[in-house]
Amino acid sequence: MQEKDNTRRKVLIGLTSAVGLSGVPFAATPFIAAWNPSARAKAAGASVKIDVSKMQYGQQIQVAWRKQPVFIIRQTKESLAGLQETLPKLSDPNSEAIDEPYRGLNNTRSKSSEYTVIAGVCTHLGCSPKYHPEVEPKPWDATWSGGFFCPCHGSMFDMVGRVFKGVPAPTNLPVPPHYFDGNILTIGEDGGMA
Amino acid sequence: MNSMFGKMFGWFNSRLPIVNTFERHLSKHPVPSKVNFWYLFGALASVVLIIQIVSGIWLIMPYSNTEEQAFSSIEYIMRDVDYGWVIRYMHTTGASMFFAVVYLHMFRGLLYGSYQKPKELVWVFGCAIYLAMMAEGFLGYVLPYGQMSYWGAQVIISLFGAIPYIGESLELWVRGDYYISGITVSRFFALHVVALPLVLIALVFLHLVALHEVGAGNPEGVDIEAHLDEDGVPLDSVPFFPYKVLNALVGIGVFMTVFAIIMFFFPEGGGYFIEMANFEEANPLVTPEHIAPVWYYSPYYAMLRAVPDKLGGLIVMGSAVAILFVVPWLDNSKAASIRYKGVYSKVAIALFGISFLTLGYLGTVGVTEVRKTMSVICTVIYFAFFILMPVYTKYEITKKVPERL
Amino acid sequence: MNQKNIMNIKIIKFFTFFSLVFSINYLYSAEGGPCKDYGECDKFKYSLNDMESLQRGASTFLNYCYGCHSLQYSRWGRVAKDLQIPEDIFFDNLIFDKSIKAGDLMTGAMVDEESAQWFGVAPPDLTLVSRVRGDDWLYSYLRTYYEDSSKQYGVNNLVYPGTAMPNVLAALQGNQKLICKNIPILASNGGEKRDDLGNTLTKEKCGFLEVEKGTGTLTKDEFNNVIYDLTNFLVYVGEPAKATRERIGWYVIFYFLIFTALSALLYREYHKDYH
Repeated sequence: MQEKDNTRRKVLIGLTSAVGLSGVPFAATPFIAAWNPSARAKAAGASVKIDVSKMQYGQQIQVAWRKQPVFIIRQTKESLAGLQETLPKLSDPNSEAIDEPYRGLNNTRSKSSEYTVIAGVCTHLGCSPKYHPEVEPKPWDATWSGGFFCPCHGSMFDMVGRVFKGVPAPTNLPVPPHYFDGNILTIGEDGGMA
Repeated sequence: MNSMFGKMFGWFNSRLPIVNTFERHLSKHPVPSKVNFWYLFGALASVVLIIQIVSGIWLIMPYSNTEEQAFSSIEYIMRDVDYGWVIRYMHTTGASMFFAVVYLHMFRGLLYGSYQKPKELVWVFGCAIYLAMMAEGFLGYVLPYGQMSYWGAQVIISLFGAIPYIGESLELWVRGDYYISGITVSRFFALHVVALPLVLIALVFLHLVALHEVGAGNPEGVDIEAHLDEDGVPLDSVPFFPYKVLNALVGIGVFMTVFAIIMFFFPEGGGYFIEMANFEEANPLVTPEHIAPVWYYSPYYAMLRAVPDKLGGLIVMGSAVAILFVVPWLDNSKAASIRYKGVYSKVAIALFGISFLTLGYLGTVGVTEVRKTMSVICTVIYFAFFILMPVYTKYEITKKVPERL
Repeated sequence: MNQKNIMNIKIIKFFTFFSLVFSINYLYSAEGGPCKDYGECDKFKYSLNDMESLQRGASTFLNYCYGCHSLQYSRWGRVAKDLQIPEDIFFDNLIFDKSIKAGDLMTGAMVDEESAQWFGVAPPDLTLVSRVRGDDWLYSYLRTYYEDSSKQYGVNNLVYPGTAMPNVLAALQGNQKLICKNIPILASNGGEKRDDLGNTLTKEKCGFLEVEKGTGTLTKDEFNNVIYDLTNFLVYVGEPAKATRERIGWYVIFYFLIFTALSALLYREYHKDYH
């Protein structure tokens, strides 16, 4: 009799605890989900539009998308041609390590053959790299042929944001979703025509 | 591995009273072997307290305590924050449930004499908790900055104005502005989320420490400490774990079912838990047509309206709460439980219960002549219950309380 | 006294109290209903899972109401998503301002000061109107406009006498008037009073709403449906999570019932140890 009682007891303890514990993840869901970006944050971070026709060749401008810097560079023919020369210095010339949205479309890495659109946040520890388009010896690289240099920890990127070998940054600067509608560049949306 | 854990545990245990505290207050804590459902509400109150603290912390995060954004930040929580509505309704339902549970808990105390010697301090700390809760609830209700928040606060703060000489300047000082503005909301926010919760938790701690010192009561009013076994454990007791815990678990299950029904299907509680007017942003220029407090204050509100004098109303209202504190010294009965008290006590507590509930109803509806008269009658009964208690408990014939449970 | 007697007394007390409270309620609750001159509000039962009704309601709102009334806490994209309207259809057909993005709030098309001049008061934001007024009230209010030449817009409302809003939907509903009718006099037993010849006695009673035939594009039922959908949409906008809330609620209740049942069994099991 005692034996049988204990089995029932154990089964009931097991069942009750199982049901009790199974509720925990559900109870935790709202509290975890409440920390996701809210609809307001998502709306504020939806997309930005910018007219890029006024940009000079070789000019770089910075726009804020989701309160984060995004670099737009209007590349010159020379700098695009110069990309070939830097190739041996790059650690991941084809952006294999990251999720590259417009791979193989243009050598600007963007949807345009002229403009480069990259996130202006170093993939190392989040500083914003500086634009140095000049082809001239630099304290950090004697054979500098233009690109981005991060003042925080010395990471280097080429003119389209691809990372150099032997620097702390692990990956290329990512390309945010964007599309061009004439001269209007929209960052944050794909435009559905990838 | 096991012995290493054991060693570590031993290290801590010799420096912190872990095992002792656990055994004394939880696993081996003796509780009366025979109690009824009335004895569950204490445990339920602590469950709601935890719900309120957790959901409250999560509400602080998206809430904005400014005049411009307080109201819209509530709608932001209800719409834009993922599952924000769950957390908010949890908190609003919790507020009402907290009072419901505490009212039942207090009524249990009156029914079974849970304040009698040696439990006076348990009762007094409990009353202090109730008082702190009323303040906490009031402050919290102002935070959404809806019409009811505004005008409810307006009425309550105006009560300070009834205090002679300093009244008006006190009102201004509390508000920090000429109306209930952003700074008032901001102050109330700080008190609601930091100051009063600290006070509440401290009081709950004292309430429990005092309770565990003198032991829990039972519906028979039997002193279980009078008959101990050879280990000094009361014969009519069971260990807190697992018996009381499992008992409480059933109660919590039922309670949470009710909680869920309200939270998911009737979060406004027909306008008693969240008043309809509070879905409109505060407008200092327009009073809503019908203003009533949330249900848990309504008995006192009815008392306030029953008195045709501003200061008098305040005094009556204050005394209604204050008189609870001295109940342990008003009851002269030899029996603790209503089961063994005499007929006077039974009639008294029945009349008291009815008049308190009637006052609660009257506080939520508009005033008419008849209602006003009823409020006066009920207020008189409310006070008579306490003031006459030393008399009727002394002169009534009680039944003999049994020796054992 | 034994347990049973105590129980009985408790039950008696319980019922005495309730009958007392209800009799008080019954005797003295003559405060006048929330629907004012209309008397009791018509009952409204929302159906938030009826997407077509909500979509029609949204369309009515955006075409007839949104010109003056904003829904400032609600976002366009959320409405489209919750009402299962594909975003392109939603943007092409229901949103007239092309600069609007899905995440934007529905802040309205009118400047407050301008509209205050037109109507005397700024048209209120309607995001929470169903929660402030109640859905019964809304459903009644929108159907109880009547012609009243003494008012600025020639109309008045039974539910909201002196309302500042013109009857925007008059073209659909037609001209509604207050008329008087002869109605049977009811005897105290509830039956109709008759004279000696067996004819039903009648008295004239006023305050009935009747639409002038042929003045509206919709029949009475069709118009009621339009208002139903519109109210349904406003109930949705008042609390977009409401349908989700009620759906999840069943699961939560079910969960706690199971939990209660199991813990009750477990408690009973351990209870044997003692008794």
